[in-house]
Amino acid sequence: MNASSSFEIDKQALLLEKKAEQRGRLEAIALPLGTLLVLLVLWEFGVRFFEVPPYIAPAPSDVATTLVDKFPLLLTNFWPTFQESILGFIVGNLAAVLVAIAFVHNKMVEKAFFPLAVFINTIPILAIAPILVLIFGSGLSAKVIIAGLICFFPTLVNMVRGLQSISPQALELARILSASKSEVFWEFRLPASLPFLFSALKIAATTCVIGAIIGEWVGADVGLGSLILDSTFNFRASLLYATVLMSSGLSVCIFAAVSITERLMIRW
Amino acid sequence: MTNTVAVEGPKVSNVGDAASSHQPCAVSVENASVKFGAFTAINNLSLEIEEGAFYTILGPSGCGKSTFLRLVSDLVPAASGDVRILGKSTEAARLGRELAFVFQDATLLPWRTVLENVELPLEIGESTGVDIPVSEKSPEELLELVGLKGRENAMPHELSGGMKQRVAIARALVCKPKLLLMDEPFGALDEMTRDHLNLQLLKIWQETGVTIVFVTHSIQEAVFLGQKVVMFQANPGRLKEVIDIDFPYPREITLRDKPEFIRHTAYLRSLLETCS
Repeated sequence: MNASSSFEIDKQALLLEKKAEQRGRLEAIALPLGTLLVLLVLWEFGVRFFEVPPYIAPAPSDVATTLVDKFPLLLTNFWPTFQESILGFIVGNLAAVLVAIAFVHNKMVEKAFFPLAVFINTIPILAIAPILVLIFGSGLSAKVIIAGLICFFPTLVNMVRGLQSISPQALELARILSASKSEVFWEFRLPASLPFLFSALKIAATTCVIGAIIGEWVGADVGLGSLILDSTFNFRASLLYATVLMSSGLSVCIFAAVSITERLMIRW
Repeated sequence: MTNTVAVEGPKVSNVGDAASSHQPCAVSVENASVKFGAFTAINNLSLEIEEGAFYTILGPSGCGKSTFLRLVSDLVPAASGDVRILGKSTEAARLGRELAFVFQDATLLPWRTVLENVELPLEIGESTGVDIPVSEKSPEELLELVGLKGRENAMPHELSGGMKQRVAIARALVCKPKLLLMDEPFGALDEMTRDHLNLQLLKIWQETGVTIVFVTHSIQEAVFLGQKVVMFQANPGRLKEVIDIDFPYPREITLRDKPEFIRHTAYLRSLLETCS
């Protein structure tokens, strides 16, 4: 009797604990969602109450309707931007990683090229984009290069730091074990750099979309960037807002993909 | 016996005479100097360490005791003089995995599990073309020897400082080294853990027969572990004295409360004051 009642109490305590945990998780999701919902409702009423013309600021409901109605149009413009962003992400980061490896293995290369990399980074991407479109034409390659360029510098800096983050003692250990240069790289330096690489890739996940859109602004007739310009000049504000939502959705997707890969690869 | 020795001041072996033994020593250093630029880290040092011995090295900061281990393990070159490991050059000893090093900080690779860290030496250095010796104890058995059975798949960040250092010791033993060099391995640990690991290290030494050279800051630890305590002197780093510690093994923690033990530590403390 006594034992069974204490068992009941234990069970209840466990249940309460579980409930508290669930409540915590619910709060983490519900609170920001609720805030967003309240803001959207305020916006909707503000636009209606002050009779703001729809070509200046559309109501959220209009944006939602456009998002559904014009989804085929949005999607045909989404894929080119998606392609440019992903290719730019891959090209820019791969180049940055390779240059970082060269820098770490050869101080002369670093001395020769690092100031140049800094200089290129100081040119505003909006200023350099027209130059690249002049050189590479208004096709895919110019946009990929712009998207890649914008990813390049943060990844270069982080990757150099990451490859140098291995402790002097770990390098002494490698020497005691008579490790070859390639073993030092693959077994010591590269794994040590991965956390640094992933924080750079998270930055690149959002900036590569910016690069692709800027590339489209300078010269393109498809893509989310050109749709943004197009709907702005034609006062189709709700389409503009829907396009902006699609672009941020693209960034979020790439960011999520990087985060999931990080969690799978970095167990320490 | 130890008593009389301690009363007269511990025995001092003359370093120059040691060269007369015929068998190749585990470590034989003759008139070696190490320079970093204009700075002399070790000046004209000679020392012989017999096979299977347990030597501890004591000395003030900057006396070159860590540099001495790095000289012996081929991490820094000798500016002059000669260093032999079991009659071979330090490079040959390193390539043949005759020596292993345990650092002050465990230096585990955080992306490898405990077991994978112990196995690291078996996976590396194949490009040298020298066969890598393997301990007859498997990596799992070595982990058991250091008291970490059941933690094979843990990641290093899940372990305490003492556990990490035990993994480092298991890793050092995986290639069956003849010479184990330890650079203040327990310096960062709390006293209880340190005592425990001291006893465990003595057990491992007796079981494996490996020669150990152990650098420490702690006079107590030096006397408790070593058959001989080597005192270094600073500016420039050189040998001061080698003191025999005659207590039989296995030693127990209570040894430290014995008057003979305290006589040794007191003598070393007074010696240490003249060294910096």
